[in-house]
Amino acid sequence: MDTTTVTFTLNGTTTALAVSPLTTLRTALRENLHLSATKAGCSQGGCGSCTVLVDGEPTLSCLLPLALIEGQEVTTLEGLSTRGGLHPLQEAFYDRFAAQCGYCTPGMIMAAKALLDRNAQPTREEIREALVGNLCRCTGYLPILEAVEDAARRLSQ
Amino acid sequence: MTVTTLFTPRSADEAVDLMRRHGSDLVVLAGGTIMMPMINDGALFPRQVMSLRRAGLDGLHTANDHVEIGATANLARVAEVNALPPLAEAARTVGGPALRTMATIGGNLFAHPPHGDLGAPLLALDAEVQLAGGRVLALEDFYAERASGSRAGTELVTALRVPRPQGQSVYLKCGRRQGNTTSVIAVAVQVMIGSDGTCSDARIALGAAASHPMRARRAEEQLRGRLPDGEICAAAAEEAMAECEPFTDAIASDWYRRKMIGVYVRRALEATLSIHVGQ
Repeated sequence: MDTTTVTFTLNGTTTALAVSPLTTLRTALRENLHLSATKAGCSQGGCGSCTVLVDGEPTLSCLLPLALIEGQEVTTLEGLSTRGGLHPLQEAFYDRFAAQCGYCTPGMIMAAKALLDRNAQPTREEIREALVGNLCRCTGYLPILEAVEDAARRLSQ
Repeated sequence: MTVTTLFTPRSADEAVDLMRRHGSDLVVLAGGTIMMPMINDGALFPRQVMSLRRAGLDGLHTANDHVEIGATANLARVAEVNALPPLAEAARTVGGPALRTMATIGGNLFAHPPHGDLGAPLLALDAEVQLAGGRVLALEDFYAERASGSRAGTELVTALRVPRPQGQSVYLKCGRRQGNTTSVIAVAVQVMIGSDGTCSDARIALGAAASHPMRARRAEEQLRGRLPDGEICAAAAEEAMAECEPFTDAIASDWYRRKMIGVYVRRALEATLSIHVGQ
């Protein structure tokens, strides 16, 4: 079987990885690079728990072969914190108890990051629309919405 | 994983060449949101896969009388095409933002119902499918050719040409949730009213109501040349219920889909005609 070497930027660092042709970005992150924040949920594009940013766009890493992101920039939850501190989204999720089991949290935060990067002061409705593809099976949606609003406030200060 | 090669052609010509060489052994990905779930599930074991991500088919041009949308333009971009309101509205209702940055308009034509939400608005807008090699097909004929197993299923879709609508158009989707929902059914209508108040043209298209998106032609006939009122909208809805061929799946039964076709065709027509019957 062929392997392909794929070079891309991962959380600001140039990364090269040899993988089999259809290895997904999610599998590469979790199993090859041991970055386990990105979660393996439904593997069908239906739950949003594997959401990462590719060139700033929210993307379902379970459906995207790594070989297709040659030269592109990937941001995962691990890439949000700076100098050991939490990102305001992470702080807000923590302070607002926006995680119950926590499995959807990385996907929620990355989807919210994509929103806040282009709309610094979203309405509640805009937040709902941005997170509509992310399922929380604990159904803890309200604190999640509040956390994103809180993070927007923290980021604008 | 049995895949030995992932091809990433840099042009439509290269893609067509690969399709010719590998035939039906080649699984084609546009955005990957249909085929990758099947591969992840183990329902499909392709040996060769081709991605159109770098094939340069994602152009989007708005002209005076039409919009040309490249086959791999993603649904996030289609959702922003304000010149085509029912299509943009349909794109906005598919999945969430992450899915929409991946799913493509061309791929949507190959989705198995109840998926493939763009089909109904594209039919209502009278879209044409452009195939590699220059063949152009009305979308309705494209679906018919695919269903009959003839050529269109094996040719590369390069773009869609969508006339800018004149008159009123509406897209309504019936789902089991408010957002990120698969269609129970969907209805797109495009109605033109002449200066005398009669309907000069009408297109009514149904999604998730048959084995592929369809025009409800007998329902359309109820409107043409007549002064549309509540009764005529109801008669068109009756016709649409009679001519659709819905199916049963985990989302809804054929019985319920047919009922909803009636309700949503009537609502869509009333909305286009701004008729509020019995209110």
